[in-house]
Amino acid sequence: MSNELVSLQGIHKSFSGVEVLHGVDLTLGAGEVLALLGENGAGKSTLVKILAGDIEPTSGSIEIKGTKLAKLDVYQARQLGIRMIFQELNDAPALTVAENIFLGQWPHSGPFVGWSEMAKKAQEVLDRLEVDIPVDAIAGQLRVGERQLLEIARALTQDTKVLVLDEPTAALSNVEVERLFSVMDQLRAEGVGMIYITHRLDEVARVADRVQVLRDGSSVLTVDAKKASREDLVSAMLGHASEKNVRPQLHDTSEPALKVSGLTSFAEFTNVNFTVNKGEVLALFGKIGSGTAEICESLFGLRPITGGNVEIFGKVYKAKSAADSADQAIGYLPADRQRLGSFPVRSVAENLAVRSWQKMGRFGFVNRLLEHQAFSRWADALRIVSRGSTQTISTLSGGNQQKVLLARWFEAQVKILLLVEPTRGVDVGARRDIYEIIREQAQSSGMAVLVATSDYEEVVLLADRALVLSRGEVVSELTGNSVEASKLIAASS
Amino acid sequence: MSNRKDTELEQEQAKSRRRIPDVAPLLGFLVLLTVFFTFTSPYFLDPDNFKNIFVALAVTGIICVPGTMLMIAGQVDLSVGSAAAVSGMILANVVNDYGITTGLLAVFAFGLVLGIVNGFFVTVVGVNSLITTLGTLATLYGIALLIGNGQTLMMKNFEWLGTAQPAGIPLPIFIFFFIAIIGIITLRRTRFGRSLYAIGSNPNAARVVGIRSNRILFASFILSGLSSALAGAILTSQLSAGDPNAARGLELEVITAIVLGGASLAGGRGTMWGTIIGLTTIGVLNNGLILLDVPTFWQRVAQGLMLILAVSFDATRERLASKRR
Repeated sequence: MSNELVSLQGIHKSFSGVEVLHGVDLTLGAGEVLALLGENGAGKSTLVKILAGDIEPTSGSIEIKGTKLAKLDVYQARQLGIRMIFQELNDAPALTVAENIFLGQWPHSGPFVGWSEMAKKAQEVLDRLEVDIPVDAIAGQLRVGERQLLEIARALTQDTKVLVLDEPTAALSNVEVERLFSVMDQLRAEGVGMIYITHRLDEVARVADRVQVLRDGSSVLTVDAKKASREDLVSAMLGHASEKNVRPQLHDTSEPALKVSGLTSFAEFTNVNFTVNKGEVLALFGKIGSGTAEICESLFGLRPITGGNVEIFGKVYKAKSAADSADQAIGYLPADRQRLGSFPVRSVAENLAVRSWQKMGRFGFVNRLLEHQAFSRWADALRIVSRGSTQTISTLSGGNQQKVLLARWFEAQVKILLLVEPTRGVDVGARRDIYEIIREQAQSSGMAVLVATSDYEEVVLLADRALVLSRGEVVSELTGNSVEASKLIAASS
Repeated sequence: MSNRKDTELEQEQAKSRRRIPDVAPLLGFLVLLTVFFTFTSPYFLDPDNFKNIFVALAVTGIICVPGTMLMIAGQVDLSVGSAAAVSGMILANVVNDYGITTGLLAVFAFGLVLGIVNGFFVTVVGVNSLITTLGTLATLYGIALLIGNGQTLMMKNFEWLGTAQPAGIPLPIFIFFFIAIIGIITLRRTRFGRSLYAIGSNPNAARVVGIRSNRILFASFILSGLSSALAGAILTSQLSAGDPNAARGLELEVITAIVLGGASLAGGRGTMWGTIIGLTTIGVLNNGLILLDVPTFWQRVAQGLMLILAVSFDATRERLASKRR
């Protein structure tokens, strides 16, 4: 290819003696979008970090725009126009939108920042992205999705030749995702080469020209995106033929655990009615911002309820605080594991037992042995891969961390469990594991489970029943085998 | 599920992190200091000298116990020194006129009120604890000066609290050990203690998981207020006088000991044992400098340097930890 921008050949990389990349090749042409797929730990991030000059490969050759480079460092990579957009935000929340877009490269005359010029240029970029955000707004007050778009805007203001997007859509609403894709189309037309890392297979056909799948540090499949079938991609990622999306065995109980009528919280959601029976998994499906997560927050006492009422096992319950709800045997798994879920520097055993200390000793004491035993028990039952009960939770993979946080509520023997995006940031293999675990626990303990999610596959694989929300209102209910991806998507948009 | 290589990598990282316990370098430093002073001063190893070291530490040590709890929960109480000074002034005043029991009651009532005030501003109003207690530190120092009109107040007939030696060991040491043991048990084995770690590690998650963080922090500030009051009472009894300047800079010593002992300024990490070792290091250093006839002003210099050393160590460890992750 004459217009080849990037060519990585035979890249090997080892960390402390363990090889994580075993001779991977990757090429990217100008005006091409390459989707990079793979489970967590497959080596995607390592590979793109090598391209960004962040990590030095153990061996292999790097060619950028036809020039073979002996060594690539971060500074050089920037000079060559290689830009990265990460899933996590890299912005300055206290500064304005305009300042963030030009972060570190503020237009200036002498030592003075050219404020009006910066505002003007920032506005141009935002217009190009068709984003309606005031340039003088404070970044920290925007939604996560909007802040993500600022990062993309920043890449656009610089002379970008190669753009790497590492799961940028995880926190975006569907509208924002579509906006991002149209920007990517624009960039493609301008000859920018893009590497797009994602977990969402349905995005591949929409946005990519070519797909490359990594598994265990090797490249296992590179195909034309239009020719790649979903099944091929999944089996390449997992290394075996994936199970079809089979609906789970439904639970047939009729004893109501949680009954919600006319529930309203300002304009976040209005007049929501539903019942979750014992042992049942009910999904609230809708885009981010449609009110699904907000309903769970309100039920747990994290967000005010302005109308309607909630009954738990026939008794009216008004959640005042998270502590009250937890005392009522209600559990809540937040979507943002890092910020709201885990205690990062503490051990897995402590993270798991935090809700169960009361029963692990008397007079305010906690028996550490019971804590340890609880962890061992759940580690076996949920197949949590760890070095032992004293390992710090932040050193576990995302899927294993999530299992620990689920076990936290199982161990606390909650009767109602509220889950928000339970598999966000969890790789495909562990997802199915987690669905199975949730269903098993619901059935065996009679726990009622309410899942707020924006992932239709999750609904199909996990829920007995589904309510579809749009703009804070329930727009449809799907039961049994009518819970299908196509119906969910049709109803939510 | 993470694949096998990923897990191996994690284990490798975890191992390298486990190899060095947090207080190991400090313990090494303490041993070095001890060896150094043993060779440079003939009096250092004398049992009476060790008694001196620990008597000097007892007052600080009592405050360090709730101080460690607060630091683990990501909070700090700077008002302790001024609080001890005010306690001393109150004690001297009340004991002279109304007797010892009333004096002690007044002092503990003051400690309780201070704890409630600090706790209120931090948990209810939501002011950062550093700023809140910096404010109470300044206010209380002024009050201590106001009570005695800037003068030292003599106190009669109440020396035993600071100077009695049951079984040959000074009473303040007994009190400190007793409180330290309660502290160790509380942090390691009680729901209260474990909740402090959770709050410090991730305050948002602690709230979401249903820990009543505000109550726990409130209680910790009250404990800190009460212990400052007790420390002030002991100090006053030792001096037989309430001196508004006696406890100046005590907060610095307390924080130095806690941070030296491995408690993270970011919260979530730290142990009572670590603090005790940090405290001992400061005590040995101060004592050794006195034995070597170094002018006392140098103690201040040494202590300031120690604090910088301790926080640098904390910062380096945090950075290394996040890099390995």
